[in-house]
Amino acid sequence: MENINREDVQIITRNSNWQEIDIFNLLHLNIYNTKKDWQNFLTLFFMSLGVSFTVAGILFFFAYNWDDLHKFVKIGLIQGLLVALTLILVYLKIKPVLKNVILTGVTMLVGVLFAVFGQIYQTGANAYDFFLGWTMAVFIWVLIADFAPLWLIFIALINITFGFYIEQVIIDLPDYFAQTVFVLINAFFLIVSLLLKEKKYIIPNWFSNLLAFVVVAFATFSTIFVIFDNGQEFFFITVFTVLILYLLGLYYGFVKQRSFYLSIIPLSAIIIFSSLLIKQIKWNEYGMFLFIGLFIVVSVTLVIKMVLNLQKKWRNEQ
Amino acid sequence: MSNRVDHILETIQNATSSKIEFDKKAILTEYHKLEDNQSSIAIKVLSVVGGFLATIAFLGFLFLSVLQNSEIAWLITGLFFIGFSIVLNRKYEKLIIDTFSISAYAIGIFLLVFGLKELDVNENLIAVFTIFIALISLYLTQNYILAFVSILVVNISLVSLLVFIHSSYNLIHLYNAIVLIALVYVFLFEAKIIHISAKLSKLYNPLRISLVISFLFGLGFLRTRNFHGMQLDYIWHYAIVLFIAIIYLISKILKLMHVTNKNHQIGSYVLSAIILALTAFSPSILGAILLILLSFYVNYKFSFALGVIALIYAVSQYYYDLNYTLLTKSILLFTSGILFLALYLFTSKLAKND
Repeated sequence: MENINREDVQIITRNSNWQEIDIFNLLHLNIYNTKKDWQNFLTLFFMSLGVSFTVAGILFFFAYNWDDLHKFVKIGLIQGLLVALTLILVYLKIKPVLKNVILTGVTMLVGVLFAVFGQIYQTGANAYDFFLGWTMAVFIWVLIADFAPLWLIFIALINITFGFYIEQVIIDLPDYFAQTVFVLINAFFLIVSLLLKEKKYIIPNWFSNLLAFVVVAFATFSTIFVIFDNGQEFFFITVFTVLILYLLGLYYGFVKQRSFYLSIIPLSAIIIFSSLLIKQIKWNEYGMFLFIGLFIVVSVTLVIKMVLNLQKKWRNEQ
Repeated sequence: MSNRVDHILETIQNATSSKIEFDKKAILTEYHKLEDNQSSIAIKVLSVVGGFLATIAFLGFLFLSVLQNSEIAWLITGLFFIGFSIVLNRKYEKLIIDTFSISAYAIGIFLLVFGLKELDVNENLIAVFTIFIALISLYLTQNYILAFVSILVVNISLVSLLVFIHSSYNLIHLYNAIVLIALVYVFLFEAKIIHISAKLSKLYNPLRISLVISFLFGLGFLRTRNFHGMQLDYIWHYAIVLFIAIIYLISKILKLMHVTNKNHQIGSYVLSAIILALTAFSPSILGAILLILLSFYVNYKFSFALGVIALIYAVSQYYYDLNYTLLTKSILLFTSGILFLALYLFTSKLAKND
């Protein structure tokens, strides 16, 4: 049976005497989710909401910092919960994806444990070693479970740890340097995930696209910071990193036929170039604004034209 | 490609008892046009972001140069730009002019509003006039991006008319309720809407996404509870509307899943109602859940992703909600979490029974 999508339904509705009730039935049959989809989705949805709301409830409870609760009780409660949940996880007979959801919740509980520890012994909530401890404690779980949302939390933890480390320990670095470090960390995970994809590992598209988006966002910010920051001792590293990564990304987009990469990287380049132009402006020179506006419109249009042509070419090749 | 169209038409005819008349020539023409203009989310984002940035730069130029202190000139240029972008769209139905035409359109709207405001025209009138202009452009051209921007313009004008112009901040809930009802209607009555007219069927996709954006924007307002003396009391009204909408959606889902056993039905409604009542303390969470369920119902992946992001954001922002103590919030969240797990057990048991 032919795969019918919304575009088809709309085009045919416009040019026929197709009845509303029949359109309705076709939508339900071919486009909307079926009973089976709903069963799979709802079990996952309810499990995820159950785990995340419960963990959030526990987190809020400890953040309330109940004075009457002795510190041993506090830490003991969370540790007991951690052990209990992990045991349930191992012995429960449910689908692996649901186990992974529970493990993600347990990973967040480890953070709560570190936070309560910090609360009792006054280490501060944003100390980098707090996040370092959390990251290291959950590393093996992340590796074993190999669950995309869990990986995402892990990568976020690494970013946060480095961010605080740079802020608290290596103090006298320029602002954009932290951004460049974020670019490198996330680009590392992106490249590894794309290489694994080549080796037929199943990595969801939303995961690599999200990472690519984060890399491009940080790359754009750090380059703009370099442009507007005048003490440019490290600017070479930033510019060089971004340039290499963008060339790699464009190459990947062309070879693997991924228009996502071919859209966001040029858009970032256009934004970066526009900020170079803005830096040249003395604020009464209105001609420059006209030039920037025209530059953006023309370049974005050219990028869209290029992507459209490529998409057409790729479709014909299939 | 003609082959594929034949297959589709055959499938559709086979699924229908009466004979359908297809205008095959017109259908193929539309497919040919689509072939060269196959859009994707990446391309749409490119046009919107590019158009937005270019608009800012052009406005900078216009205000600093030729249009200094001349309201009438703003007005005329504004109308000219709006007309220009509509003509452009009607003449060339091509994706590549999108960036250009939406920045022209956005500049036009901005200049028009600024011009009228400088001329001391009544603000209510400006809002109504802007809605009128946007509706006319929707009638004249159904280009995806332009329609998306026009519908957002209608919504922004509406929220200004209701809320900002008169500083009647409690009316934000009325606006939210209107958007919510429109959203549910558009999602659930897709067949009806696209069947009404050819124009509406072209407007369906942009209408849907701009309602999603407006809906999330409305939820965002709720987060800033003490926004201009917005009173907490009235948030309940919106929560009730959300509550009813979700229960209505649940009735549809139960029907779709063929849950016919009376006890199972009652069980689902009662459990859902308790959870919804508990989460109603934070309408943003309720709203995000509604968006996720609606998007899954019609299998619309983009707004599903937006719903998931909104839910994560709403739960994390709940932490900073100062209207309840952390202990209260902790109990609310913990209880609803346990109840969700109960729902999980319930659904997986039902699935096993099948």
